[in-house]
Amino acid sequence: MRDAFSRALVSAAEKDERIVLLTGDHGYALFDEFRARVPAQYINAGVAEQNMVGVAAGLAKAGYKPVVYGLSSFVPIRVLEYLKLDVCYEKLPVLIVGDGAGFVYSILGVSHQSAEDVASVRALPNVTILSPADAWEMQASMAYALTSGSPIYMRMGKADLGPVHRGIVTLREGALLGLRAGAARLAIIGTGSMVHAALDIGEEFDASVFSAPFLKPLSTDQVVRICEDSDHVVVLEEHSIYGGLGSAIAEIAGWLAPTRILRVGVEDRFSATCGSYRHLLSEHGLDEASIRSRIRRFIQ
Amino acid sequence: MRFDVRALRRTVLDMAYAGKTGHIACAFSLIELLAVLYRSHLSYDPKDPMNADRDYLVLSKGHGVMAQYACLAEIGWISPGDLGRYCSDGTRLTGLADPHVPGVEASTGSLGHGLSVAVGLAMAAKRRGTGQRAFAVIGDGELNEGAIWEALLFAAHFRLDNLIVLVDENGFQAMGRTEEVMRLGDLPAKFSEFGFDAADADGHDEDAIDDALHRFSQRPNGKPKALVAHTVKGKGVSFMENDNRWHYTRLTSEAYERAKSELAGVYPR
Repeated sequence: MRDAFSRALVSAAEKDERIVLLTGDHGYALFDEFRARVPAQYINAGVAEQNMVGVAAGLAKAGYKPVVYGLSSFVPIRVLEYLKLDVCYEKLPVLIVGDGAGFVYSILGVSHQSAEDVASVRALPNVTILSPADAWEMQASMAYALTSGSPIYMRMGKADLGPVHRGIVTLREGALLGLRAGAARLAIIGTGSMVHAALDIGEEFDASVFSAPFLKPLSTDQVVRICEDSDHVVVLEEHSIYGGLGSAIAEIAGWLAPTRILRVGVEDRFSATCGSYRHLLSEHGLDEASIRSRIRRFIQ
Repeated sequence: MRFDVRALRRTVLDMAYAGKTGHIACAFSLIELLAVLYRSHLSYDPKDPMNADRDYLVLSKGHGVMAQYACLAEIGWISPGDLGRYCSDGTRLTGLADPHVPGVEASTGSLGHGLSVAVGLAMAAKRRGTGQRAFAVIGDGELNEGAIWEALLFAAHFRLDNLIVLVDENGFQAMGRTEEVMRLGDLPAKFSEFGFDAADADGHDEDAIDDALHRFSQRPNGKPKALVAHTVKGKGVSFMENDNRWHYTRLTSEAYERAKSELAGVYPR
C-alpha cells in the first residue's frame, strides 16, 4: 500500500509541478523515488509540524497543491488547529497524510500511536477523510485526493496486510465498497487495516462485508440500506470507538434506521504494554479471535 | 490614497465605539506600519484584492485588525457601511482577522498562524520567480508562540529573502508587559541569529519605517528580512498610551469623545 502511495504521488507530481510534498522530517525510504524524480518538489520542513501546515496553506493559496506528510500522531493531531484555521476554513487544496495510524508503531509507545485522529478531524468542516484498506483503495484514494481541490485527510494505517480487492476500484464520494454478500442478516463494516479482519470474520458468520474508504462524508442512503437489511451491524476500526467510523454509522442508524450496532475499536484507553503490532491488537481486543468472540455474544 | 495616520486612528476609534469592542490599543500601535506598507511598499490592484500578482500582507497579529480594516476601507475593499456595522449581528467584519474579508490573507485571531502562511506565500512566489513579496506583521506577545520560531527557521533555511517580517514591539501582551510575562531579549539580535537581515526603527516614524523597508528591498541577499518596530501600545491617544487596560476596555461615550478630540485634524507629516 505504501508503494501504491509513492507511485501515485510520484506519477502525479511528474505531471503537475504544482504538487509539492512537505514532510516533517519523516518518510525514511518512502520518498526515495519522489526525491529522485522530482527533487524540486520535495520540501523537508523539519521537525516543525505546525509551521509545515501553515506553509502548506500559504503555498495552496498561491496556487500550489501541497501534500503534507507526517505520522498521524502529529499530523493531524499536533497540528489540529492549524488544519482547522489555515486549511479547512479556507477550503484549500491540501492533502494531509497521516501515516502509521493506529498501532503501527506498537513498540514505540503511546506517543506514536493514534486512535483519536479521525474523531478529531471529523468535527472540522470542509474536510474529507479517506482511510484506504489496501493498494487498490490507496490508488483510488490518491486519484480522488489529488483532484478534489479541497482539504483531505488520508489516514494510512498498517500497510502490509495485502489486498482486500482483486483489482482496480472506483471511489464514489462517501460510498462504502461491498466486498462480500452474505446470507446472514449481519453486516460487518471495516475501514483501513481492519477490513482484512472483516473479510476473514465475515466468512465464518456468512455476513455481508463492506470496506469504508471514506470516513467523511459517508453515504447516508447506503448506510441506511445496510442497517435495514441487517439485524446486527458490526463496525471494525483501529481507532477509538468514540468519534470514528463506528460512531458515524451509529449516528446515521440512530437517526434513520435504528438497528443493533457493535462498535469494535479502541475502548477509551491508552496502550498499557509494549510489543508487536499483533500484541497491541490483542491487548486492545482487536485480534480476530477476540472480535469473533464478541460478535458471537452480540448476535446471540 | 494618503493613509493619514490620524484619520486611520479615527476610523479605528469609530469602529471600536460602534462595535463596543476592545483591542483599540493593539490596533493603534501598528497604524504607522500599515500606513507605510499600503502607501509605499505593497503592490496591489485597488480594483481587485485577489489579483494573483499582488504582494501579500498577512496580519499575523490578528487582534490588530481594526487598523487593517481602516486601510482596506481607504482602498475601497471595505465599505463605510461595513465599518459602521463592525461586530454587529449578521455582518462580516469580525473582531479578529478573517480571510473571508477582501484584503485579509489569513485567519489570525489565534496567534502563531499568520507568519507560517506568509512564509508559504513567499515560498510560492520564490519558486515561481514572480518577484512578489510577503509581509507579515506580528506582535511581540505573539513571539511567545513556538510556531513563530519554527517559521523563522524555515524562512531562513529556504532563503526566502522576499519575506519581510515586521514586529510590532509595543512591549505589552494581554496580561502585562512582555518583560514581566515572557522576556524576549534583544529582538534584532535574535532575528539576526536566526539568519534574518534584521533592523529596528521607531514604529511611529513613518520615514524611518519607509527607509528601513527601502533598504531591505535593495538587499536581495538570500536572507529574509525583519524590522523590529519600537511602538507604543495605544499610540495617538494620550490616556491609552502604555495603559494595557485598552487591550480590553470598551469605550464609554466620554472616553470616545476625549479620544476623538485628540485625534482631530491631520497628522503633521
